Amino acid sequence: MIKIQSLTKRYGELIAADDISFEVNPGEIFGLLGPNGAGKSTTINCLSGLLKPTSGDISINGHAVIGDGVAAKKHLGLVPQDLALYEDLSGRENLNFWGQAYGLSGPALNKRIDQVLAQVGLTDRQKDRVETYSGGMKRRLNFACAILHQPKALLLDEPTVGVDPQSRVHLLNSVRTLKEQGAAVIYTSHYMEEVEQLCDRIAIIDKGAIIAQGSIATLRKQMGEKDLIELKGNFSSIDVEVLKEYDVQEWKDNQVQFWCEHAASKLSEILQLFKDCDIKETSVKQANLESLFIKLTGRALRD
Amino acid sequence: MNRTTMTIARHAVLRTWREKWGLISWLVIPMMLVFLMSLMSGGGSSPKPHGKVLVTDLDQSVLSQFLIGSIGQGPTAEFFTVKAVSKSEGQRLMDAGEASAWLMIEKNFMDDYLNKKPTIIRLRKNPAQTVLPNMVETGMEVMVDAADYLQMLFADELQRINKMVISGKYDDADLVALTLAIKRAIDDIESTLTPPQIKLEKYINLVEENQNKPRFNFALLMFPGAVFMSLLFAAMSMSMAFWDDKANGILPRLAVTPHGLRDYFIGKTAHAKAMFLITSLILMAIGVWYFEVDVTLLPLLIIWLVFSGVVIWQVLLFFSLLMPSRKSANIVVNAAMLPLAMLGGSFFPAETMAEGLAKLGSFLPNGMLLKAIKDVMVRGEPWQNALLWPFIIGLLVAMILWFINLRMVNRLAREARS
Ligand SMILES: Nc1ncnc2c1ncn2[C@@H]1O[C@H](COP(=O)(O)OP(=O)(O)O)[C@@H](O)[C@H]1O
Ligand SMILES: [Mg+2]
Repeated sequence: MIKIQSLTKRYGELIAADDISFEVNPGEIFGLLGPNGAGKSTTINCLSGLLKPTSGDISINGHAVIGDGVAAKKHLGLVPQDLALYEDLSGRENLNFWGQAYGLSGPALNKRIDQVLAQVGLTDRQKDRVETYSGGMKRRLNFACAILHQPKALLLDEPTVGVDPQSRVHLLNSVRTLKEQGAAVIYTSHYMEEVEQLCDRIAIIDKGAIIAQGSIATLRKQMGEKDLIELKGNFSSIDVEVLKEYDVQEWKDNQVQFWCEHAASKLSEILQLFKDCDIKETSVKQANLESLFIKLTGRALRD
Repeated sequence: MNRTTMTIARHAVLRTWREKWGLISWLVIPMMLVFLMSLMSGGGSSPKPHGKVLVTDLDQSVLSQFLIGSIGQGPTAEFFTVKAVSKSEGQRLMDAGEASAWLMIEKNFMDDYLNKKPTIIRLRKNPAQTVLPNMVETGMEVMVDAADYLQMLFADELQRINKMVISGKYDDADLVALTLAIKRAIDDIESTLTPPQIKLEKYINLVEENQNKPRFNFALLMFPGAVFMSLLFAAMSMSMAFWDDKANGILPRLAVTPHGLRDYFIGKTAHAKAMFLITSLILMAIGVWYFEVDVTLLPLLIIWLVFSGVVIWQVLLFFSLLMPSRKSANIVVNAAMLPLAMLGGSFFPAETMAEGLAKLGSFLPNGMLLKAIKDVMVRGEPWQNALLWPFIIGLLVAMILWFINLRMVNRLAREARS
C-alpha cells in the first residue's frame, strides 16, 4: 500500500533522510522510532508529497506521489506533527472544512463527522471553538480531520506529543480501529513504549538512516536477551578488566554501562565487584527497543 | 469554482465575519479620515464664491473653538470669512441677509459633550443662497460626526487633534502619526472587546433653523480616495492572512490534499472579491447617501472597486510572500501602506498635491485606478475612455502576479519560514 524506495532528502550539506526504504501493507501499523531530528518528519513529509525528495521513489496504492499526486493523495490521510486547525472555528466546522477539502459533502459528510467525533470522543464539544480546547482535545481533532475520508494509507507524525493520558488512549485505540479496517498506518514517535505496544513492524531511524528494521520479534533477537546495567559512582581506581565476563557498552570515570543476562538475579554479585567505587545510582534496563537503540548508536533515545 | 474552492472561500468569509472588527476598521477609519482631512488639509486653489459666516460662541471652550475654527480652516477657509458676533448682532445680520450662515454654540457645550450629555450647535442658513450655507452645514455635520466618533473611541487622539488645532499646524508627519494612532486604537479595541460592544450614540445635535436645499458636494473630491484607503486596508489584511494559514498549519496540510493549494488560492481570491464587494457596497451606499454619488454609476463603480481591490491585493500579497518571515512581511506591507495611501491620493486628493508627486502617485497601482474612477465620478469623463488603459494594465498586473503568487504560496507551504 505504501512503498518507499531509497528515499534521500538533503538540505544542503545535511542529509535529513538517507536511503530509506520500506513497505507497509494494508492492516499493518509500521512504527518509525527515532530521537528528535532523526528524520521522521522529513520521511513523512516526503511520503505525503509536501516535500520533494532529492531522490528515491514513493508510491501510495500504486500511484507515485510525485507524478500521479492527485490519485496518490486521495488515498492518503496525514496527521501532521504540528496542529493544522482553525482555532476560531468550532471542532465541527474544522471537520467540515477538511472533509470538503477531501471531496466529501452533504449528508455523507455529516454522517462521517458524527462518526469520527464519537470515535475521538469530542461529540460533546463539537460546537465549541477550537481555541477553547485542551492540548489533548486539539490533538484528537487534528487526528479526526485526517480520517474523515477513510484513507487507505494513514501517516501519523508524533500524534501523542504533549497529550494527556486519556487522549492518548483515545488516539491509540482509534489507530488500532483503523488498522482493523484495513488501513496501512505509519506511526512515528520517540516514545519507545508506544511504538512497542502498537506497531507490527518497526524501523529505528537515526541521523536520517534506518539502523534496524523488522517485526518486534526480529528486533528482540537483535537486542539479545541481555539487560543493560548502568552504574554511577567513581570508577577511576578500578580497571575495566573486572567486567571481562560482560559486554561493556560504556566505561567512564563516573559511569559504566554493560550488558548482562538475567541482570536482576546477578545484581548483588555485580555490586560486590564495585564495592569500592562509591556507587551512587544503579539502574537496569530490560531488553527493549530503547536498549537496542543504545546498543546501535551509543546514545539514549531521549536526550 | 469547485467544492474545495467554495469551502475555502466560505470559511474565509465566515472567519472574517466573526472578526468583524477588522472589516469595520477598514470602513470606519478612511471615512473618519475623509471627514477630518476635508477640513484640515489645505484645500484646492480654483476660484470660489466667497461668503461670510457668523459665529456666536457662548461657550468659549477648546471644543467650541475647534468646531467653529474648522470652518475657518482647511478647504472651507477660502470660501468664508468667519466673523464672531454677539447673539443680537447675529440675529440682525441674518435678518438683513448679510451673511451665508450663522452658527451658535450654547454655554456649557464642552462640559456637556465631555459628560456625554446631548449638546446642540445651532445653524441658521441664509435661504437666499444655496451653495455656501450648505457647505457650512456639510462641514459642521462632518465635524459633529467626527467629534462624536472621536469622543467615543479616541480620547487620546482627540487631545492631539485639539493640540494641532490650537497650534494651527497640521503637517504630514502629524497626520501620519494620527492615522497610525487611530489604526492602533482600533486594533486595540479589536483585541480587547470580544464580543465588541460599542454603541455609537449621537451626543451632539446639529439643529438647523431653516429648511435645507441640496447639499453641496465638495467632499466628493475626497471620498473616492477614502474608499481606496478602505480597499488598501482590506488588501493589507488579506495579504497577511496567508502567513496566518502558514502559522496555524493549514497551508502545509492543504498542500497534501488531492487538489492542493491551487484550489485554496482560487478560494482565497473568491474570498477577496467577496470582501471587496461588501466593502464597496457599504461605502457606495454611504457615497450615495452622503456624497451625492451618481446612482446610475453605481454598478460600474462597484465593479471597478472590486477589480481595483483585487489588483491592489495581488500587489501587496506579492511583497508579503516575498519576505522571509511573517514579521518582515508585516513590516513591509504596513510600511507600504502609507506611501501608497499618501501618494495614491487617499489622504489628499491628487488635485491638491504638488504636480510631481501627483504624477508619481498615478503610477502606483492604487493611484492609477483611483485617478481613472475619479475622472468618471467627479469629472464626468466617459467611462470607456477613462477606464480602458487602467483596466488593461491592472488586469495584466493582477493576472501575472496571480500566477507568481500561487507559486509563492506553494513555496510558503513547504518551506521552514514563520
Ligand atoms: N526545512 C529544513 N531546512 C533545513 N534543515 C531541515 C529542514 N527541516 C528539517 N531539517 C533538518 O532535518 C533533520 C531531520 O528533521 P526532522 O525530519 O524534522 O526530524 P524528526 O521529525 O525525526 O524530529 C533535522 O536535523 C532538521 O534540523
Ligand atoms: Mg518530527
